[in-house]
Amino acid sequence: MSSTTEHEDRFRRVYAANFEPLLAYAMRRVEQPEDAADVVAETFLVAWRRSRHMPPDTEVRPWLYGVARRVLANHHRSGLRRGRLGDRLRQRLRAVIVADPGSEVPERLTVRAALARLGEQDRELLMLTFWEGLEPREAADVLRISPAAARTRLSRARARLRQLVGDDADPPGHVFDVLAVRTPKEGR
Amino acid sequence: MTDAHLDRMVRDADPYRPEVVQHLDGAAQNLLEEIMSTPTLEPVAEPSARRQRKRRALLSGLASAGVAAVVLGVVVTGSIMNADRPEDRPSTPADTSDDTKPITDWAMVLKAAEENPRLLIDQPGWKATSVYGFTEKDGSITFSNNDRELEMNWYPADVYDSFHEDRLRVSEPAQVTVDGWPAERFQYNEGDFAVMLKPREGSFVELRTGGTWTRAAFDEVLATVVRVDAKTWLAALPAEIVTPQRATEQAAKVLADVPLPPGFDVTALGGLGANDAYQFGAKVTSRVGCAWIAEWLRAKKAGDDDALRRAGDALRSSHRWTVLRQMNDEGDWPEVFWETADEVAAGKPPAKYRDSLGCE
Repeated sequence: MSSTTEHEDRFRRVYAANFEPLLAYAMRRVEQPEDAADVVAETFLVAWRRSRHMPPDTEVRPWLYGVARRVLANHHRSGLRRGRLGDRLRQRLRAVIVADPGSEVPERLTVRAALARLGEQDRELLMLTFWEGLEPREAADVLRISPAAARTRLSRARARLRQLVGDDADPPGHVFDVLAVRTPKEGR
Repeated sequence: MTDAHLDRMVRDADPYRPEVVQHLDGAAQNLLEEIMSTPTLEPVAEPSARRQRKRRALLSGLASAGVAAVVLGVVVTGSIMNADRPEDRPSTPADTSDDTKPITDWAMVLKAAEENPRLLIDQPGWKATSVYGFTEKDGSITFSNNDRELEMNWYPADVYDSFHEDRLRVSEPAQVTVDGWPAERFQYNEGDFAVMLKPREGSFVELRTGGTWTRAAFDEVLATVVRVDAKTWLAALPAEIVTPQRATEQAAKVLADVPLPPGFDVTALGGLGANDAYQFGAKVTSRVGCAWIAEWLRAKKAGDDDALRRAGDALRSSHRWTVLRQMNDEGDWPEVFWETADEVAAGKPPAKYRDSLGCE
């Protein structure tokens, strides 16, 4: 097998194993579900271009989250750009997802509202830990902080969240209040 | 509430619904194929080399040619690495910031650049040392590698014939290809070459050697020139430039001791594209200078003596502006600026001040 084929095969494997986690990561952090398509597309595009330097399989997911985090941050700063890639995914997400805040369980909304009130790093650390299921050292990789700092902050973030959830039992009026990254709405 | 309870509540609050992936109808596979059909040439940031500080006559040259509005540009150092270079170490997320940041920050540049895929030298050791233009069909980038330079200039396709005619007077053309695209090589002397690519999508590019070359060396490098999409090209440029994102911060530095004209919109400086300190300074002072001259003309016409005096004082004070004094070591823009400013302040606005200062 040529190195090119090996390299391509590996990328296909990485993509297959990480597409859904990345989609989930993106969907948890964008306002319009279809915007997740742009985040996923750009993240994997970066990964493809860097694919010869991707870390080993065991470390690749946090690495991809790290890429996605910066993609999101940049989109946040400059507005989500509609790429040429991922158009079909965008269409599918638009068709499949119908956000219905009214159908949400109030407790979930309370937690999301509380998360939304945390600082970005605290919130991200909790989301990476509980939604993406990362170990503190992996979350540390994504956030580019030391594992020790991640553990300390996680503990602090939990305490803060507990306080907020306890203090604010009223469900919020909007399901997306939790979003870490605000992106422009449709019709751009 | 116990930790375990809190943790469960957070887990339960996850808004993601796994059923989504069941309904994507092949969109994930489709995206994979789209991504894998793009080139993988990998730009890798290297420690920035000391920029070659050659005195730049660019701006004054443009001014005299009456096209100072084209000064949009960057002068950068960067590196272009071979995608086939051996694996060295896994990239950390930190490495990718250069990949994503300029791409999205440079939306303006990208918009124009997207229409024109660019060329890179896919061989280690080459650095982009000068970049400017790339507004639409034109632009210039110079790659340097020790004592060699390779300059690539893009022009609108409609001037191809006139360029070609001129080059035919240089030498007999030799048919070559650049990344599979037909081109002609012309030889100025035994160590100086130009290669003109046939027009494509509304523009054409000419490669021109600088420094010490041989035919063999040129052919070898030419064989490694690849055509890449705009994103890859932009990502190959280094990060030490003033992006729109950093424009506000850099503008504050530049404008620290610069009197601002009435109604001057500092926030609009975010739309200046991507520039190194010199080019950014030139663009910012261009805006300031143009606005002060406009104010001077307005005041003159309105008989507003106070405003006229303020505008004249502001223009005269440009000799003390830190940004221009710093730029004076590097290029001719400050001289052009001061000359124009002095003439206006002396009551004789030059007829072509707009061209000189690149006023919009």
